[in-house]
Amino acid sequence: MLDRLSLSMRASHILVALLVVIALVFALVAWSTGDRFYLRLATEALIFAGLALSVDTLLGYTGLLPLGQALFFGFGAYVSALVLREAPSFWTAIGVVFLSTLVVGLTGGVIASRARGVYFALISFGLAQVVSKVVFNIRELGASDGLRGIPVLDIEFGLFSISTNAPLAFFLFTLAFILLLYALAAYLLDTPFGRVLIALKANEKRVPFLGYSVFGARLAAYILAAEIAALSGALYPMLRGFVSPELMFFAVSGNAIIGVILGGVGTLAGALYGSILLTLMRSIVGTWTEHHLIVIGLVFIIVVIFLPRGLLGFVRPRLEAVLSRRQKP
Amino acid sequence: MKPMLEARNLAVSFGGIHAVDGVTFAAAPNQITTVIGPNGAGKSTLFNLISGAVRPHRGHIVLDGKRHEHMRPDRLRELGIGRSFQITNLFFELTVAENLRLAAQLLEPRKHWLVPVRRSTLAGQRVGELLEEFHLAGKADERAGDLSHGEQRRLEIAVALAARPKVLMLDEPTQGMSHSDTAETARLIRALTDSVTVLLIEHDIGLVMDISDRIVVMHQGRKLADGPPAEVRADPAVQAAYFGHARS
Ligand SMILES: Nc1ncnc2c1ncn2[C@@H]1O[C@H](COP(=O)(O)OP(=O)(O)O)[C@@H](O)[C@H]1O
Ligand SMILES: [Mg+2]
Repeated sequence: MLDRLSLSMRASHILVALLVVIALVFALVAWSTGDRFYLRLATEALIFAGLALSVDTLLGYTGLLPLGQALFFGFGAYVSALVLREAPSFWTAIGVVFLSTLVVGLTGGVIASRARGVYFALISFGLAQVVSKVVFNIRELGASDGLRGIPVLDIEFGLFSISTNAPLAFFLFTLAFILLLYALAAYLLDTPFGRVLIALKANEKRVPFLGYSVFGARLAAYILAAEIAALSGALYPMLRGFVSPELMFFAVSGNAIIGVILGGVGTLAGALYGSILLTLMRSIVGTWTEHHLIVIGLVFIIVVIFLPRGLLGFVRPRLEAVLSRRQKP
Repeated sequence: MKPMLEARNLAVSFGGIHAVDGVTFAAAPNQITTVIGPNGAGKSTLFNLISGAVRPHRGHIVLDGKRHEHMRPDRLRELGIGRSFQITNLFFELTVAENLRLAAQLLEPRKHWLVPVRRSTLAGQRVGELLEEFHLAGKADERAGDLSHGEQRRLEIAVALAARPKVLMLDEPTQGMSHSDTAETARLIRALTDSVTVLLIEHDIGLVMDISDRIVVMHQGRKLADGPPAEVRADPAVQAAYFGHARS
């Protein structure tokens, strides 16, 4: 018998499956029309959706507002770029990003996990500010220009390989990669460990008296979110061929948070939907008018007023009710 | 009999107020030891010191024969001290079953921590037991925040008990309950002593005399008396400081 939290997670899986279907239909259409532009845009949307996923594990499941989560996204992108310039191997890049993020996430987490509420938000913001400004001023990292000339890559799978320069193949690869990150987050959040995170959000004060360390749980959530953000960011230079300090700026963190709110805080699938919609809207509305931020601002306000729990915060409870009825004999 | 829990010379003050001022007592296993005293006597603060919520300036506890200086509440819970709160302190957005499971999953071995919740059978079974024992089975899927006050108070006890502590500390569990709910809760607490040592704070003096094995009387941060109910009741100092007020 599943409880409501496990049912929610199941509902989220169904919504993600729907997203995959939409993505595959899109890929088919793009392939048959020989499109490159929209495929690369959609790939970028998926990469930023990974950052939104990481924001939602903190904001939606642990009750922490990470105002500077782009720090880890940018970190992953830079590390990936640096590795790829030396040794153009996808697996080496991902491995180095994963390990270095453990260290950096642990360091940042030890600082940030002592705080909560608005203090956590400000520490997260401050860390990202400091690091992005430092990167901005290091000539070896390309300073304000960032790192350019990341070579096109063949991602080796033994039997076959995928070129980052093939829009359709790399789109499908990125889709699978982000799905894996989603699966990782969804799996962990539905374990006893994940329940402690949810408890932190619901009522942190009671958690120690159940025998769980608040600091330890927060730190683990922080590192998990850092990994999701950094691994997503690692794909960025493969798509664009460059990285720049802007990737760590507040605008990127802020966009991820807006994406999560649009999609529905604490719905996981919503982070993917909201973030993808936001990236597509920015780009597509941007080709019609240079005042696209006005349009996006208005959409944001309308969603917050009429769907205060976000798009999936509206859809998912209805899906849960259906699942719950089917579960009862 | 060797005590399950001892407090030795515990003390803390808040800006000049000696909230708890050198309190020593012992709670025997599988008995109900009740702390009474007027409002502000330091009862809740004493609980905070024992459960690690507040760091004592002085003193220590002995749990099941082992001495512990101040420790964090999560460590003390792992060692066997479970507690409830005077002001209901639940996960209000979560359902009754989710509240209980969260507390019960401490029973799961560490290697189950990263295994899906539906497979933590130990915790799942425990939730089922508690739902029955505390008459909450019909409310399992309701949000804790939507329960009646009496039901929330029952859930508060069940959450504290879920991971089978050695010592269960209940801070005014019947507060705000109706007369019949209070009587029912008293029966429930009495039944718990089969498996746990109970430390209770309670205002209803009739109930206290009825279910306690031992009573500790506090007054202005100090222990005034300590003994079986009849003895405490007959104590002149207690009569003056406590029952005296109650009667007038
Ligand atoms: N955290 C605190 N800060 C300041 N004063 C406190 C704190 N906790 C308790 N007190 C004071 O300690 C005294 C004892 O309070 P408490 O233990 O709640 O009494 P009781 O539970 O017996 O009614 C009161 O004077 C109260 O105001
Ligand atoms: Mg009190």
